[in-house]
Amino acid sequence: MLKQLATFSKKIFFLNREGADPTLEAEEVEALRLTFKSRYHSFKLLLAANSRILEGMANIERALQGNESFSMSFVQTQCTAISVNVFRMINDMENIAPGKYTALKDSFAAIKKQIDALLGARKKIEDRRLVIPLDAISSDMTDLVGGKMANLGDVKNRLQMNVPAGFGITAAAHEMFMQADGLQREIDRLFQVAGSDEDRNLDLVSSQIRQLIMAAEVPEAIYLAVVDAYSAMREANGGQDIKMAVRSSAFGEDAENSSFAGQYRSELNVAFSQFFYYYKQVIASKYSVQAITYKLSRGFRDEDIAMCVGVLAMVDAVAGGVIYTRNPLDSKDEAIFINSTWGLPKSVVDGNDLCDLFVVGRDHDLTILRRDVQQKDYKVVILEGDGCARTATDDSLAAQPSLSDEQIQELADHAIRIEQYYETPQDIEWAINSDGKIFILQSRPLQQMEAVLPGAELDLERFASSLIVEGGINASPGVACGKVFRVAKKVDILQFPEGAILVVEQALPTWAPLVARAAAVVSEQGGFAGHLANVAREFGIPAIFGVKGAMARMHNGDEVTVAADLGRVYLGAIAPLLEWTRPEPKLMLGSPVYESLKEISHHIIPLNLLDPDSREFVPQNCQTFHDITRFIHEKSVVEMFNFGKDHSFSERSSKQLHYRVPMNWWILNLDDGFAHEIHSKYVKLEDIVSIPMLAFWQGFAAIPWDGPPAMDGKGMTSIMFRSTMNTALVSGVKSKYADRNYFLISKNYCTLSSRLGYHFCTMEAMVSERSGENYLGFKFKGGAADFERCLGRVNFIREILERYGFRATINSDNLDARIEGYDMEYMIGRLKILGYLTLHTRQLDMIMGNAAMVNYYMNKLTRDIDTLL
Amino acid sequence: MDKKQREFKVLLVDDEDVFREATARQLSVRGFIVLAAASGEAAVEIVRTDPPEVVVLDQQMPGMHGSDTFIAIKEIDPLIEVIMLTGNTSVDNAIEMMQMGTFDYLMKPINVDELLYKIEDAYTRKKLNEKRQQEAGQ
Repeated sequence: MLKQLATFSKKIFFLNREGADPTLEAEEVEALRLTFKSRYHSFKLLLAANSRILEGMANIERALQGNESFSMSFVQTQCTAISVNVFRMINDMENIAPGKYTALKDSFAAIKKQIDALLGARKKIEDRRLVIPLDAISSDMTDLVGGKMANLGDVKNRLQMNVPAGFGITAAAHEMFMQADGLQREIDRLFQVAGSDEDRNLDLVSSQIRQLIMAAEVPEAIYLAVVDAYSAMREANGGQDIKMAVRSSAFGEDAENSSFAGQYRSELNVAFSQFFYYYKQVIASKYSVQAITYKLSRGFRDEDIAMCVGVLAMVDAVAGGVIYTRNPLDSKDEAIFINSTWGLPKSVVDGNDLCDLFVVGRDHDLTILRRDVQQKDYKVVILEGDGCARTATDDSLAAQPSLSDEQIQELADHAIRIEQYYETPQDIEWAINSDGKIFILQSRPLQQMEAVLPGAELDLERFASSLIVEGGINASPGVACGKVFRVAKKVDILQFPEGAILVVEQALPTWAPLVARAAAVVSEQGGFAGHLANVAREFGIPAIFGVKGAMARMHNGDEVTVAADLGRVYLGAIAPLLEWTRPEPKLMLGSPVYESLKEISHHIIPLNLLDPDSREFVPQNCQTFHDITRFIHEKSVVEMFNFGKDHSFSERSSKQLHYRVPMNWWILNLDDGFAHEIHSKYVKLEDIVSIPMLAFWQGFAAIPWDGPPAMDGKGMTSIMFRSTMNTALVSGVKSKYADRNYFLISKNYCTLSSRLGYHFCTMEAMVSERSGENYLGFKFKGGAADFERCLGRVNFIREILERYGFRATINSDNLDARIEGYDMEYMIGRLKILGYLTLHTRQLDMIMGNAAMVNYYMNKLTRDIDTLL
Repeated sequence: MDKKQREFKVLLVDDEDVFREATARQLSVRGFIVLAAASGEAAVEIVRTDPPEVVVLDQQMPGMHGSDTFIAIKEIDPLIEVIMLTGNTSVDNAIEMMQMGTFDYLMKPINVDELLYKIEDAYTRKKLNEKRQQEAGQ
């Protein structure tokens, strides 16, 4: 095709130095040529910058769909790239029309200032208290002590339930700790150095930061405040020392739909002498590999997360566990789910041992609907000294229910009261001490999911022969297919392929960073109350836990279908089940990074300057970067077109196209678009060497137009009516800018502004060896028919363009289509399509009310286009 | 790949050896005469003794910083066009450099073809500016 085009346009380029305007001195001519050349070069740079900006805006729009995770450094990079290119366009415009559009700089500065403010915004902490006793904490203090402690404050002080004594170390304390000795600055620097390679260097950065934190001194003010709070607790305990649980209560940790489940450190049974060591451990856990990965995938910025710390007196629990006030796997199920085990609730939370499940009805008598009592061989207990340990349960107790019926009902009653107070389903951690007293340790919003598979309607017998694993617990509903990858050691994490089925022995929080990359999770142990189950539900990843023999029966590389609702795994891709695959949750929506980008995008993307003929089309009205680029693009074309006329320089004035006869097309040569200098007022097609223009023209002239489609009476009335109403449709009144078809061309560039019949279209193309800079833009608007039919035609054209790889949007009846980055041959093909459509969609708006006609033309046009390519 | 001989000198300044050597090699393959410097000081010395047409300059370097190097180069020859490279930067920083007169600003990781286009464009701009200056002087 290239060869064909080359013969079509085979011309030798040379500059005819004798071709200048006779009224100008030779020196003036040289000066004008040089000025024009310099302006044309700026024009080309301006167009390249314009393309980069459109690309940046497309990146932002894609990110705002919320499907893929992105970090603040993405936001920063896009903003910088777009700003630099807008600035570049303003500079280039200044070179094209010196002194004429200086107001653009003011508009730019104003918009940039707003973006800067949004990029740099950090929340200020007003309340400077470092430590607050639990007795004084309430749920409106989330910004001070973190969600976990704020909620617990209400359970203790408003609901008057048993909560251990304790205190919160605040966000102000965290800020003080991070600012002392420039700790935060050093952390920012480490992240910045890791830069775009953040993923690859994560292990190193994470360990460097955690070491820095552990080596830092706790500021004296924090030390004294903690000593005060602990002394008060000790005094209330009759002067006896108290062992403590030191737990993270970070911002965002327990918010709905983002659990940070199990990502942060919690230390149990800590003596005061060890307290500050563990305080720093909790703070450092904000920078564990899991926590950083999670933070990035959920769109949190480092500065969004103040690590507040909750301190509670340790409960020497006989039994403990987690209550879900509703079924997390089925939002229609109102029953209360109590997970329970012997000893501390830790093993239920970590999800690595079997535990009992009691399901309680919401009726007046709190009927116990279900008792799943498991063999609980292990429990976690507190040690004499510091810390706790996983030990074997007494044989006599292992198979016994860990709760009595009275305790089950008492817990259910607590659950209902807490849920009623918060008006939303809750996930509650609890413990019972040797006196049989219930303590609430944590309460946070519960995320609920819909069941996925329709159950009874499925004929499972059909694929029974493919069944390899069954009998697991549905930990996160859904269906997924992928290749098995078993993970046993931490090093396996690095090899884990995107979209694989994660198969593990224990459902440990350690595997959490893999969940977002997995298609589904299968674990031999663990229950649906563990951290990993929470994470799977949060990311919408199907998970089956408690599947005996999964590691042995599922082999690396096998393609399997996991149906979590059924607790089954099948070999191969089972299409009838995969029909029920859930759409991916949009995890970025509403996150701080997402919200930042969204707000910033309001200063970049909206286009307010739509009509170049309007009085409002001035630099002062540019409210966004898009407005500035639109304005400059429009004016730069006009300035280039008018250069010859403005400087009485015929060499750079437009020529009328002569193609068999003089045509209503004017052509301005920007640089090397003609084979040689043209002296006459006409230019012949064979004298044109512009690659994009010739390609367009080939499409335009390839197949003769059949003439206007047969019009019905309604179409005719409409066109007559519109002609009387819309002055732009009547020649003589329309603006000067719009009354001609004109091309600006060079060898590799072409822009066309055309009015054919009653519609208006512009086409712009850069087609050269630089594939990366190639683009093709097409705008189409208007028509003589009523709005619906004009819109019908615009949609008709859009459908065809999308079929051939264009990206198209419609705003009112404006069609805007674009394609970029392809090689020359491909772009030439697309240009032919545009040439063809420019002619053959003439007056098609008239038949848009007639489905049969629309169908006929759709077939005819695509058939024609296929013969063109 | 684009293999035409361009026959003009480009100076590549970056303290990261791997990046500098790999980029220099890719630019040489594409027909540029490539000079390389590992520091701002070395770059300024080359601009004095063996002036290039275009400089590709990393902004974050130990010792003489990219922006200081830029100023020193422009003092020696204001017509040399400079393209800045950066790993991570703020909008403010980038615009400030553009205001000072850098030809363009690219963010790492760079696309070599894009860098190549920028270098060619910078070279064309430099030749046009030289001609204009000649004319103004006549």
